[in-house]
Amino acid sequence: MAPDPNSASGSGTKDEASVKVPAKDPKKKDDKKDEDLSEEDLALKQQLELYVERVQDPDPGLQKVALESMRTEIRTSTSSMTSVPKPLKFLRPHYGTLKAYYETMPDSDLKKYMADILSVLALTMSAEGERESLKYRLLGSEGDIGSWGHEYVRNLAGEIAQEYAKRQTDEASIDDLMELVQEIVAFHMKHNAEPEAVDLLMEVEDLDLLVEHVDATNFKRTCLYLTSAAKYLPGPDDMLVLDIAYMIYLKFEEFPNALQIALFLDNMQYVKQIFTSCDDLLRKKQFCYILARHGITLELDDDMVPDDDDRYALQDIVNNVKLSEGYLTLARDIEVMEPKSPEDIYKAHLLDGRASAGASVDSARQNLAATFVNAFVNAGFGQDKLMTVPSDASSGGSSGNWLFKNKEHGKMSAAASLGMILLWDVDSGLAQIDKYFHSTDNHVIAGALLGVGIVNCGIRNDCDPALALLSEYVGREDACIRIGAIMGLGISYAGTQNDQIRHKLSTILNDAKSPLDVIAFSAISLGLIYVGSCNEEVAQAIIFALMDRSESELGEPLTRLIPLGLGLLYLGKQESVEATAEVSKTFNEKIRKYCDMTLLSCAYAGTGNVLKVQNLLGHCAQHHEKGEAYQGPAVLGIAMVAMAEELGLEMAIRSLEHLLQYGEQNIRRAVPLALGLLCISNPKVNVMDTLSRLSHDTDSEVAMAAVISLGLIGSGTNNARIAGMLRNLSSYYYKDANLLFCVRIAQGLVHMGKGLLTLNPYHSDRFLLSPTALAGIVTTLFACLDMKAVIVGKYHYVLYFLVLAMQPRMLLTVDENLKPLSVPVRVGQAVDVVGQAGRPKTITGFQTHSTPVLLAAGDRAELATEKYIPLSPILEGFVILKENSDYREDH
Amino acid sequence: MGQGTPGGLNRQGPGGDRKGDGADKKDKKFEPAAPPARVGRKQRKQKGPEAAARLPTVTPLSKCKLRLLKLERIKDYLLMEEEFVTNQERLKPQEEKAEEDRSKVDDLRGSPMSVGNLEELIDENHAIVSSSVGPEYYVGILSFVDKDQLEPGCAILMHNKVLSVVGLLQDEVDPMVSVMKVEKAPLESYADIGGLDAQIQEIKEAVELPLTHPELYEDIGIKPPKGVILYGEPGTGKTLLAKAVANSTSATFLRVVGSELIQKYLGDGPKLVRELFRVADDLSPSIVFIDEIDAVGTKRYDAHSGGEREIQRTMLELLNQLDGFDSRGDVKVILATNRIESLDPALLRPGRIDRKIEFPLPDIKTRRRIFQIHTSRMTLADDVNLEEFVMTKDEFSGADIKAICTEAGLLALRERRMKVTHTDFKKAKEKVYMQVSSRFGFFPFQILLWYCYPGCSFSFISPIPKKDYLT
Repeated sequence: MAPDPNSASGSGTKDEASVKVPAKDPKKKDDKKDEDLSEEDLALKQQLELYVERVQDPDPGLQKVALESMRTEIRTSTSSMTSVPKPLKFLRPHYGTLKAYYETMPDSDLKKYMADILSVLALTMSAEGERESLKYRLLGSEGDIGSWGHEYVRNLAGEIAQEYAKRQTDEASIDDLMELVQEIVAFHMKHNAEPEAVDLLMEVEDLDLLVEHVDATNFKRTCLYLTSAAKYLPGPDDMLVLDIAYMIYLKFEEFPNALQIALFLDNMQYVKQIFTSCDDLLRKKQFCYILARHGITLELDDDMVPDDDDRYALQDIVNNVKLSEGYLTLARDIEVMEPKSPEDIYKAHLLDGRASAGASVDSARQNLAATFVNAFVNAGFGQDKLMTVPSDASSGGSSGNWLFKNKEHGKMSAAASLGMILLWDVDSGLAQIDKYFHSTDNHVIAGALLGVGIVNCGIRNDCDPALALLSEYVGREDACIRIGAIMGLGISYAGTQNDQIRHKLSTILNDAKSPLDVIAFSAISLGLIYVGSCNEEVAQAIIFALMDRSESELGEPLTRLIPLGLGLLYLGKQESVEATAEVSKTFNEKIRKYCDMTLLSCAYAGTGNVLKVQNLLGHCAQHHEKGEAYQGPAVLGIAMVAMAEELGLEMAIRSLEHLLQYGEQNIRRAVPLALGLLCISNPKVNVMDTLSRLSHDTDSEVAMAAVISLGLIGSGTNNARIAGMLRNLSSYYYKDANLLFCVRIAQGLVHMGKGLLTLNPYHSDRFLLSPTALAGIVTTLFACLDMKAVIVGKYHYVLYFLVLAMQPRMLLTVDENLKPLSVPVRVGQAVDVVGQAGRPKTITGFQTHSTPVLLAAGDRAELATEKYIPLSPILEGFVILKENSDYREDH
Repeated sequence: MGQGTPGGLNRQGPGGDRKGDGADKKDKKFEPAAPPARVGRKQRKQKGPEAAARLPTVTPLSKCKLRLLKLERIKDYLLMEEEFVTNQERLKPQEEKAEEDRSKVDDLRGSPMSVGNLEELIDENHAIVSSSVGPEYYVGILSFVDKDQLEPGCAILMHNKVLSVVGLLQDEVDPMVSVMKVEKAPLESYADIGGLDAQIQEIKEAVELPLTHPELYEDIGIKPPKGVILYGEPGTGKTLLAKAVANSTSATFLRVVGSELIQKYLGDGPKLVRELFRVADDLSPSIVFIDEIDAVGTKRYDAHSGGEREIQRTMLELLNQLDGFDSRGDVKVILATNRIESLDPALLRPGRIDRKIEFPLPDIKTRRRIFQIHTSRMTLADDVNLEEFVMTKDEFSGADIKAICTEAGLLALRERRMKVTHTDFKKAKEKVYMQVSSRFGFFPFQILLWYCYPGCSFSFISPIPKKDYLT
């Protein structure tokens, strides 16, 4: 660090300059300069000059005294942070003489003293890049480094970094440097300058040292700094940094944070280690809640939890068995149990009469839209006004009536919507869906199968009811039933890497007789089940399936889902994809580039890798006569890669704006979807405006994508502004069946779970990315790349893949027996406190509520009472509270 | 803006192909489809295209690797944008297309355009306008006009025949305020201030450093002060220090004198204050310097005349701007006054004015410095012993010392000497100290002229006979 580049020092020199100018003869100049100083300054200056002379005295005793006094003079000089201390200023002219004299001195303690002083003087004197301060420091007496003040230490740290880089290239020894580093790090850590200590260690590539120096007071801030720096560091440094953070957390038994990092690294070894190193059952329960939210399958074993009963209890939590219960508690508390009908969502009465009158749309399409809206809005509540109305004795079940208001493939979605309504509630869900299995209509059966899958989404059960029910239908004749079963398996077993299902689906994939759509859905389901696993065999199976496709089949929109299945296998796994990417180069050229882009996007999803964004942007920059399909995944890929951190996200929004400006139609169609992915469940005003503009685009596919994206960014927020926009759009597009359908879907999304759900795959303070959730969203978005053929065609049920990302956006506090416990909490906008001094507020503009509460995007909660201690520092989802034994009621 | 394409001419029957239908449909509808968020309300200026182009803020503020990494990330993205845009421009130049569009718009606008005033926005596409002559009209707004920027009362361009709104004139800042901006930095620097070290330090900490080094405050964990007030006897260097601040900072410097804020018409004063701070906000980081604040900032009491009440209202607006509901960003305020005791306590409370910096009369050391500064450019005779004046018991302010030096110079001039002698200084001191006013009544115009314009030649002054003013 250069000597403080402030105007204070500048004004000092200016001062001299302006005095010098008028003086004419050199003699006068000297006088003037002295006169210019105040008396004390003058005295000090003379004193220092005397010392300088004395130092050069042959008598060692005198030398010593002079050096000592010079040292005290420098140390005691207190000055503002903005200007150079006076002694240093006055010693400036003598730096050269002292240096020269130092060279002539014989080796002795005195010489070391001298080196110390030179080292400090070099702080302001030495030329840029000379690193003299460090040089003399190394030659000096190695006294306490802090005694010369902060600025000195900082400067030294900067010089060490430079020196280190130089020595690395020269391959010189760095031992002496490391000793100094040790000292500086210890100093920084003691003086609340954790970022500086970390920075220095990063420069000298020896972060391990950090573990020794952190203590209970500063490890949190250190780790916070490390974890937030990790997002921006190039690999493999980021992994290293996180490893260190993990070790520090483990050292201080801050297990929930350690678990977060372990999950971020996707390192099951670490997860096990956390379980084995913690022996508090209650805390383990909390770990299980974190695992469950992340959507990870983990079989607890004896090492992790010795006691059998405990293990079952914990496994239940990991399996998300209580999710439905917790969600309903929240719903009851917020009093939104009352089912809502699609009309309550459309709020047509707020529009002018015309819209409701315009019934030119075919009613089947309208009913289908209502089915989806109903499913999304009442998701997980177990009751609605269309499907689960208690059957009237006379009419023989009005739910059946609604079902049959849909046509053909519409019935499939309608039947499946029952699964959505009973989401997570496996027992009653299966009981209610059961009746459709006896239907004679293949579409209804298919819907029931899909519904079973949806009910079981994210929930594991020892009996594997979904597998038992669905597996026999996979091999049926009817394509529709097969798709229903396959999709159901994919949704319910996402991320489990279930072998049994793999065998079943692989055979379908490699069966030449299977229809294309069945193969496409099998590929997707396999991709979901083996998401991010890099499983070779599955990859093989999908690759073969893709190679077997005929030329004409490759042109079909559904074929494009097959490479996506392949991509999901490598979701976020970065380099692991390369072998497969090589293979994809041999594909038919019709699909080759598409496959390439998909693999690249998926593999680097959620990494924030700028080089990949550049690569993808490069692909988007090309213009083709006839729109090439591969540019769609490239655009989505930009969003997938950039969504990892806030800065990238905002900058990607900017880049997408350029794509809109210059891109061809096929790119413009993908841009709204990419925006939707970037801000999912997070209605940013600027994105909202952009999408609202695009929703009136002359190209109807762009408009459809924009409308769906409006739904996505507002999903589960009940955002009034988006709702208003969509209402107006519904009247604007009342004659256009396809667009109206999209508007309805978007309306359903905005009111998803009556505002209790979120689709955001990021959780735990936006640190962790749930792979299954992202996979679900990405699948839906890829399907949306070809709106006409898929969403408004007959594959509208791909919208149900969104269920993978659905999570209640709640904070539910439970007591030690896992019973809901209401405590006051403050909820407010999260503040980035990384690297801030003291104990800054982590939330701003907060309101106090009592749990359970809803958390919006960017919100953070903190307990407003001291009575309990949360077992997890991140107050999201289920949090166990422990009584605080030190707490006293103050009266 | 957000309306897609302007309506075409061909009208098709309903329910045709979707493609290109949107435009036709819009023509037919009485109601427009997607109403923008706002109609005719005043919007904060920052919104709009600028907000979209703005880069995300980077935390933490302190210098550390994380900040570096984050800034590099932003840079990477910007480089990519640049690469993309240059590529695209190479492949498919937008210039021509834009040129074409522009000429089309120009055709639609016609020429000449008449300038009018927007009275009221009726709905999305219609407004009531008035021109400087004639009556008001109900006219349409063309689709290419940025409706977000239209607000009642703004100046607009109208088509010369059909009077529809075809554009708007960006209203500039109140000219009163733009005058206040210091375009040319004053020549006085910190070096021209004798003494006042503590005051310089305080004002630097409170005003300059928060603008240049916000991270220092972040490091320590405090909010930097918002403003300072400089007070003290006349001539102790308050304005000089403010000038030095303006000289040394690169921030926008706005200077006002308290009396300027008092305006002829009701409500103009508070408006001016608002404008002033709005401009300061727009141009931030900026420093607002209000000299002689006692002109508006005196204690409130029952006012009898409308004028007094108006002054008080001006002050209330000032109070609000200093620490009101809207937070000001990087705007620092420096006030200066001679009479701090007469100011309203609300003006001085911490939060509005966090630091009160007193300017005392100079002590001996400071006096010496001031003498040095002022005599450094004078040719002094060898016998001059400034110490005598420095050590004197009399109370001199900095301005008095300057006056002594000038006076001594003038005396020397009068006798056509090229050097200023000790006697000159002595006489000058007497004169200044005694405030001998009667003789000064005769002070010749030419000398004053010379004082004001040191460059003018001596010949211009010489015709004045000595005895006229020496007896």
